[in-house]
Amino acid sequence: MLRVEAVEKSFDDFKAVNGANLVVGKGELVAVIGPNGAGKTTLFNLITGQLKPDEGRITFKGEDIGGLPPYEICKKGIARSFQIVNIFPRLTVFENVQVAVLSQQRKSSELLHPAHNIAVEETEVILESVGLSGKALEVAGSLSHGDQKILEIAIALGNEPELLILDEPTAGMSPEETSATMELIKRLADTRGLTILFCEHDMEVVFSVAQSIMVMHQGRTLVQAEPQEVRRNKEVQEAYLGGE
Amino acid sequence: MDFASLSTQLLVGLSRAMILFIVCAGLSFILGVLRVPNIAHGSLYMIGAFAAYSIFTHLGSSSSGFWLALILAPLVVALVSLVAERALFCHLYQREHLMLLLFTFALMLILDDLVKITWGPEYCSVLAPNILRGSVSMFGASLPRYNLFLLIVGPLVAIFLWLFVNKTKIGKISRAAAVDREMVGAVGINVSWVFAAAFVIGCFLAGLGGALVAPTVSICLGMDHDIIIEAFLIVTIGGLGNIWGALVGSLIFGVTHSFGVLLWPQFAIVFPYAAVVIVLLLRPRGLLKSVW
Amino acid sequence: MFRGITEKRLLWFLAIIFIVLLIFPSILPRFYTYIIALIFVTSLLAMSLNLVVGYGGMFQFHHGVFYGVGAYTVALMLTKTSLPVWVGFVAGPVMATVTGFLIGWFCVRLTRLYFAMLQISLGSLIWAIAFRWYTLTGGDDGIHGVPMPALLSSQNNSYYFILVILTICLMAMYLIVKSPFGRTLQAIRDNPQRCEAVGINVRRHQLKAIVIATFFAGVAGVLFVVLERSVFPDLLFWVLSLEVFIMCLLGGWFTFAGPILGAAIIVSLRTFVGIYTEYWTLVLGVILILLIFFLPEGVMGYFLGKFRPLAKEVAHRSE
Repeated sequence: MLRVEAVEKSFDDFKAVNGANLVVGKGELVAVIGPNGAGKTTLFNLITGQLKPDEGRITFKGEDIGGLPPYEICKKGIARSFQIVNIFPRLTVFENVQVAVLSQQRKSSELLHPAHNIAVEETEVILESVGLSGKALEVAGSLSHGDQKILEIAIALGNEPELLILDEPTAGMSPEETSATMELIKRLADTRGLTILFCEHDMEVVFSVAQSIMVMHQGRTLVQAEPQEVRRNKEVQEAYLGGE
Repeated sequence: MDFASLSTQLLVGLSRAMILFIVCAGLSFILGVLRVPNIAHGSLYMIGAFAAYSIFTHLGSSSSGFWLALILAPLVVALVSLVAERALFCHLYQREHLMLLLFTFALMLILDDLVKITWGPEYCSVLAPNILRGSVSMFGASLPRYNLFLLIVGPLVAIFLWLFVNKTKIGKISRAAAVDREMVGAVGINVSWVFAAAFVIGCFLAGLGGALVAPTVSICLGMDHDIIIEAFLIVTIGGLGNIWGALVGSLIFGVTHSFGVLLWPQFAIVFPYAAVVIVLLLRPRGLLKSVW
Repeated sequence: MFRGITEKRLLWFLAIIFIVLLIFPSILPRFYTYIIALIFVTSLLAMSLNLVVGYGGMFQFHHGVFYGVGAYTVALMLTKTSLPVWVGFVAGPVMATVTGFLIGWFCVRLTRLYFAMLQISLGSLIWAIAFRWYTLTGGDDGIHGVPMPALLSSQNNSYYFILVILTICLMAMYLIVKSPFGRTLQAIRDNPQRCEAVGINVRRHQLKAIVIATFFAGVAGVLFVVLERSVFPDLLFWVLSLEVFIMCLLGGWFTFAGPILGAAIIVSLRTFVGIYTEYWTLVLGVILILLIFFLPEGVMGYFLGKFRPLAKEVAHRSE
């Protein structure tokens, strides 16, 4: 479904991504791992249009999406969450998700109907599915960090994506929160038939959940394979696993 | 339109550009380090001009009075800005950006009325010293000496500023602060004082511009509004916080304006604006690289 | 149409205010009626600015231009052409909107500070033209004695006219703020990057907001002419724009009605301080500094903040 081929991106003299390759098939749960500064977030930003690639091709369902603005890419069916909490702090939890749903329904520019009657059901379903219904009327900025990370995912779900990209969905969470969140992600993948691409620090989590793992090192793709195979890979052990 | 009037007009435009550059360099410097467009910059320029007038008349309107005014007036402005910065502005660095911006606006409102209280609404003027009066003939055109003088001062200021930013410690620190203020704080430099220094130096340049322009215009209330708006435009097309951008922008602005005066005096102001619009259509982020 | 958005009690409260305002001209001296009408006009201007600043998070620093363009357009149409009056009344907001689109088109491409600086500069060009085009605009003097139709000839009638138009505009703005458009706009204010990622074309949305806001500013400009029968370049001057900005800040820009409060405070202060001193801008500057240091969310925002638990409860009940 998503195919990244030999993508490169540099900032001034620094090559943040230098030859990344990635294949995500429909319905898969794919993880990207790599040490800090390996270029994971940059790669995600390239896929979802926050950054424009210098070289290489990014295709989604056979269509070239490299260098399109983020809102175009989102409309093609890719939604994402961010590593650093990236929500609408002054809006309520309900409104946070509703903004995305409205955008998905092409109703963002509607002027004459009060927003509180539109897209309510869809929004409530999403809040229900991530377990935030009870906090729907709270101002998002006052939520706990863990809840804000969940809200991140909920906003992304508002776009009814085919491909959901999660940038370190459990960053900064306690171990209990982490496992609950991973359960949530697995459940979402099953019930909604989502394809999910995520990156994650916690190795245990990655190897237990992902069907396919791509390893990045210094901006480059070392390998993409099934978890067992990645574990056996010499290069990966040297560059990454061996280092810990 | 003959060659003589054309070259005179070009000189007028270029010398105006030098004044604009000095003012805009100060604005740009503050913008680069503090990331605030100093709305009060025009008022400080006006204070520079009025202060030059007062010093000049106190010293018997002599030539030496002019030179002394040229040195002291910018220092008066620097002092005013230092007081404002240490008393109020420095408490706002941790706050939202907009608050800093609005503070400079409040400062403008207050300074404008203080100028009105101190100097009154009359027009004032300063005489250039003898050697800078009159004009010289060159290539059949008569070129005012004072404008030639400005053409020398402008590049001198540019060179000093370059040396200051690149060769002195405080210049280097303020340049680093423009790029990465956390890092500057981390290496143990008091960021608040770096900001204060940048603010005061920027305002000093505004005062210098005001003192330099004093002999060429009638000094009056309201001279601050014109310059600040022009300065905003210049800094925007030059690239925010880029001092060389301010130079390029000033040249474009000054020269197009002076040719506008030749072509269509009533609406001369339209020409530099048209130039700005063209620049922004081609390069929405300014001509030279913005520091941020 | 409004049911469900607002509580019934609040609607009653607003209805009572409206009736009181209707009675005012018959019980208050002429001068006070005039001041209140001026507050109405300025409120509309401040509210329109707040759509962009408070809800949109854009640094719209020269909003007065659109007010001035609206006022100048209607004044010119009524004095220089023999077109029907209503054409002028429509042309004012339309011209303001066109200007808003042109200036906004440049500004939304830039980041916040660029946006502010460029807007001040471009707006000042319009001021400079109005100031110098003596044959058309009367230059520094402006245009005085703009003829009004018989219906609006008395001051009380202009008062009613302004009140009615203001009420209609406020209702329209309230709908806009509560609409999906308005909600998305607030989301952009909070986090433009996130908005792009959920599929919103942020620039286009911002430009739409500017166009809508400038329309209302143009309406305010027309109302100003109805009240004052004159226009002058100060309407287009950037210091006025910043004064309106202060009104939003003073009243509280994260609240819907805050700017009205801000406009009322500033206009009355200007009127009454003006009696004692000519140094109004000094007073304004001091007010602004006090605001920055002590009341950054504005008067209304401060009180709403104090009673937030209560406000939240109310919100709960109305959902």
